Amino acid sequence: MSDNGSFATSAGMELLSLAQGTGARTIFVVGIGRNAGKTTTLRAIYNAAGARGLRAALASIGRDSEDALGADFPKPRLWLQPQTTFATARGALPRSPACRILKLSQLRTPAGELLYARTELSGFYDLVGPPTAAGLREVIAELGGCSDLVVVDGAVDRTAAVAGSDGAIVVACGAAGAQTQDEAVDEVAGLAVRLAIPRFDDGAPALEIEGALTAAQAARFLAAGESRQIVVRDPTQIALSGRAASEALARLRIRCRRPLHVIAATVASIGPERNFEPQSFRSAVAAATGLPVYDVYRESAAA
Amino acid sequence: MKPLELLDGSAAHVLEFEWLRAAVAPVSSYGERIFEGLRPFAGGEERAAQARAQRVAAMTQRVGAERIDAVRGVLRDIPDATPAIARAAIGGVLSDPSLLELRRFGAAIARIDALLADGPPLENAAVLKLREMLDAGQERENEFYLSDAFDESLAAARRELMEAQAELDAARGRESERAARELRRAELGEEFIVMRAEHSGHLPQGVRVLREAPTYFLCTLEYGDAALAALRRRDGAAAELAAAEEGVRERISDLVRNEARGLEAAAAALGELDVLFAAAHFTHRFGCLPATIVDRPALKFEGARFLPLEAALATAGRPFVPLDVELHDPAVLTGPNMGGKSVALRTCGFVAVCAAFGLPVPAERARLGLFDRIAWLGIGREEPMGGLLSSFAREVLALKELLTSDAVRLLVLADEFARTTNPREGKALVVALLERLRARGACALAATHLEGVAESAGARHFAVRGLREIPAGPAPDVDAALAALAGSMDYRLSEVTGDAAARADAIALAALLGVEPAYVEAARAAFLK
Repeated sequence: MSDNGSFATSAGMELLSLAQGTGARTIFVVGIGRNAGKTTTLRAIYNAAGARGLRAALASIGRDSEDALGADFPKPRLWLQPQTTFATARGALPRSPACRILKLSQLRTPAGELLYARTELSGFYDLVGPPTAAGLREVIAELGGCSDLVVVDGAVDRTAAVAGSDGAIVVACGAAGAQTQDEAVDEVAGLAVRLAIPRFDDGAPALEIEGALTAAQAARFLAAGESRQIVVRDPTQIALSGRAASEALARLRIRCRRPLHVIAATVASIGPERNFEPQSFRSAVAAATGLPVYDVYRESAAA
Repeated sequence: MKPLELLDGSAAHVLEFEWLRAAVAPVSSYGERIFEGLRPFAGGEERAAQARAQRVAAMTQRVGAERIDAVRGVLRDIPDATPAIARAAIGGVLSDPSLLELRRFGAAIARIDALLADGPPLENAAVLKLREMLDAGQERENEFYLSDAFDESLAAARRELMEAQAELDAARGRESERAARELRRAELGEEFIVMRAEHSGHLPQGVRVLREAPTYFLCTLEYGDAALAALRRRDGAAAELAAAEEGVRERISDLVRNEARGLEAAAAALGELDVLFAAAHFTHRFGCLPATIVDRPALKFEGARFLPLEAALATAGRPFVPLDVELHDPAVLTGPNMGGKSVALRTCGFVAVCAAFGLPVPAERARLGLFDRIAWLGIGREEPMGGLLSSFAREVLALKELLTSDAVRLLVLADEFARTTNPREGKALVVALLERLRARGACALAATHLEGVAESAGARHFAVRGLREIPAGPAPDVDAALAALAGSMDYRLSEVTGDAAARADAIALAALLGVEPAYVEAARAAFLK
C-alpha cells in the first residue's frame, strides 16, 4: 500500500528549494482541471520535505471549484508518514490506523466537521478542506503553528488565502484539461501570467476595481484605451481565462494590492482520454510561462 | 429564552428584548439548549422568580467577576458531547473525534469544579469513570489518541504492523532500485514514463507497460514475490490492528452506554450552570440586584436604568440618569420633548421583563409583580411605511387587540397614544383608555403632551422635571445642542398634583437646535397669546 517514490523526490526537492528561496512557509498546488497532477506534485513536495527533515503539514481545499466533474471522482488518498499533521473531516478520518486528534474545528465540510490530526503510523489518509477562503486561512494558520511547511492541494480561487503572505504557488496542468496541447499551453500560460501580476505602483495613476475584473470590464477598458493601472485586490479577482486573459494582461496594466508568488509549473502529459508528447508539452509550457517546469512522470526540469 | 405572551413583537422591539437576550445568553451548546426553553415566570410563580434572581445574585456575589469569566471561558470551549453520549446509548461504537469530545467534556467539568471548589461539584461517578478511562496514556489535555495504554494488544499490533511495513518498504525499495538501475534512472515513481529513444530492448523484469505512445511507454512496477509476501503480511497486520483498535472503541463505548444516564445528568447540570453564569455575568456587568416580587400588578423601583440606552450613552461618554417610579394603577407622564418620557416607559418595561425571567434587575431597589403581558401603544409601534392603514388606524387596532386580550396582570406603556388625531379626541381616547385599564386593575403609564389627561381620568400624574434652565440657542451643531440639553435637563420624574402648567420647552428646543430666531419669536408670541 505504500507508494514508494511516486513523483520523483528529486523534482519535489527542486520545487521545495524554489519555494524556500522565496521564504514561503505555505505552498499551494493549483491545477487546471482534474488529472493535472496536483496530488502527485503535492506528494513530491511532501516526500522532499520529509527527506530534508522538515515537518510538512497537509491540507486540501476539497474539490476544485473549477472542476466541472465534481463529486463523481473522489480525490486520491495520500500515503502519509508517521507524525504528519493534516486537516480532514470527521467522515473522512480512517478508523485504522488511529490518528492523534489534535483539535476539532467549527468549520464544516460535506464530509462533516473539519479536524486536525497527526498520524502515528504510516498509511493512507484523505485530506479534506474547508469550503471557504476564510476557512482555509484558519486551516493554514492552525497547521502552520505546528509545522515547518504547509502544503495545500488547492484551487485557483482559493489562492487568495496566501495573497500578500509568505505563500508560494505551483501550477499543475495536464493533458486531461484540454483538447489540444496548444489549448492546454494557452490555459496554463494565461493562469500563470494572471497569478503573477505584480503589485501596483503607489506613485502611478490607478483605477481601483471593487470585486472581480470581468471579461466585459476588460473589453471596455481595452476599447477605451485605458492606460492607468487597473488595480484588483489580488490576482484571484481577475475573472478572465485562457487567451482572453493573456490578451488583457498583455495590453492593460493590470495590477494588484496583494500579489502571489508563482514559482513553478508541473505537467502531466498523460490523461485518461489523450496524451501529449511529454518533451514537447513540457518545453511549450516552459516557453509560454517562463517558469521552471517539471514533468510529473519524469524528474528533470525544463526552464 | 422566549417572551411568549409576555411581549408581542412591537413591545419586544421597543423594550430591546433581543439586546437583553444577547446579554444573558450562555456560551456553550449545553447552556443554549436550556436557554432556548426559558420562559417568563407567570403570576403565581413569584417565589420561584424571586428565588432564581436571588440565586443569581448570590452566585455573582460569592463567585466574583474573575471566576465567572474563567468558568465561562471553560464553558465556551467545550465541544458538544451529547450526540456522542446519545449514539453510545443506542449501541453505537464511537469514533475517535467523539472520544475527544467526551474527554474534553470530562476535563471541562473537572476544571470548572476546581474553579468552583467552594460549591457543589458537577462531576458525578459517571463522569469520573469516563475521565479515568479516556485519560489513559494521553499526553495533552485537548488531544485524543487511542494509545497503547488502553490495551496491551494495541502495542503488539502496532509493532507488528510497523515491522511488516518496514519489510514491505525494503522489498519494494530493492525492486524499485533494481528496475531504476536497469533503466539508468535515479528513482522510479508509482507510474513513470520510459522514452523509446532512451531505452532499447526489453524493459526490466517487473516493469509493466500501462500505455504505449509513439515516443514513450507509461509504466508501473509490479510487485515481485518478496514484495507480495511482505504485502500480505502487512495487510494482515493492518487488519489485526484495525480489529484491536475497534475493540478498544467498543469497550469505551460500552462504558459510555452504561453510564449514559449519569453523563446526561452532568451535561444538563453543565447547561444549567452556563445559563446561571450568563445571568451572573449580566448581573455583575450591569450592577443588577434582585427585586422583591409581589403577587399583584404593581411596579416600584428606585435608581432604575434602561440598559440598552445606558450602554449606548456610555460609548458617547454620557451618563444615564437613573429613574424612580411607582405604579400600581394607570398614571400619566408628561414632560418636555427630549425629556426622557419614552425612556421612562422603556425602563419600566425593561425592569419588568428582567424580573419576569428571574433575573436581577438594573435598579437600586425594586418591588414589582409578574405581569402576564407588557403591552406597548403609540410611538414605537409603527409598522413600515406603506399599506392601507393610517398610523392612527394601526394604533386603534393595537388598542382593540389589547382591550380584548384575557391577560389578567397587565402592564400597559403608552407613548403619546392617539397623538395623530385632533387633540380633543386624542385626549378623550387616552382618558377612556386609562379608565378602562383602571377598571381591569391594570398597571399603566401613559406619556402624553395632551393637556388635562390626568385630571380628566382621575389618574396620578408624573412629570419629567425638565430643563433646569433653558440653554441659550442656537448651538453650533446638533451634538453641541444635545450636550447643552443633557447638561440642563433634569430627567428625573416627580409626582405632581393636577395638571401642572405647561412650559414652552419645545420652543426653546427649536431655538437651541438652530431654527431661525424670527420664527422662534413668532412661535413664542403665539404661545403666549
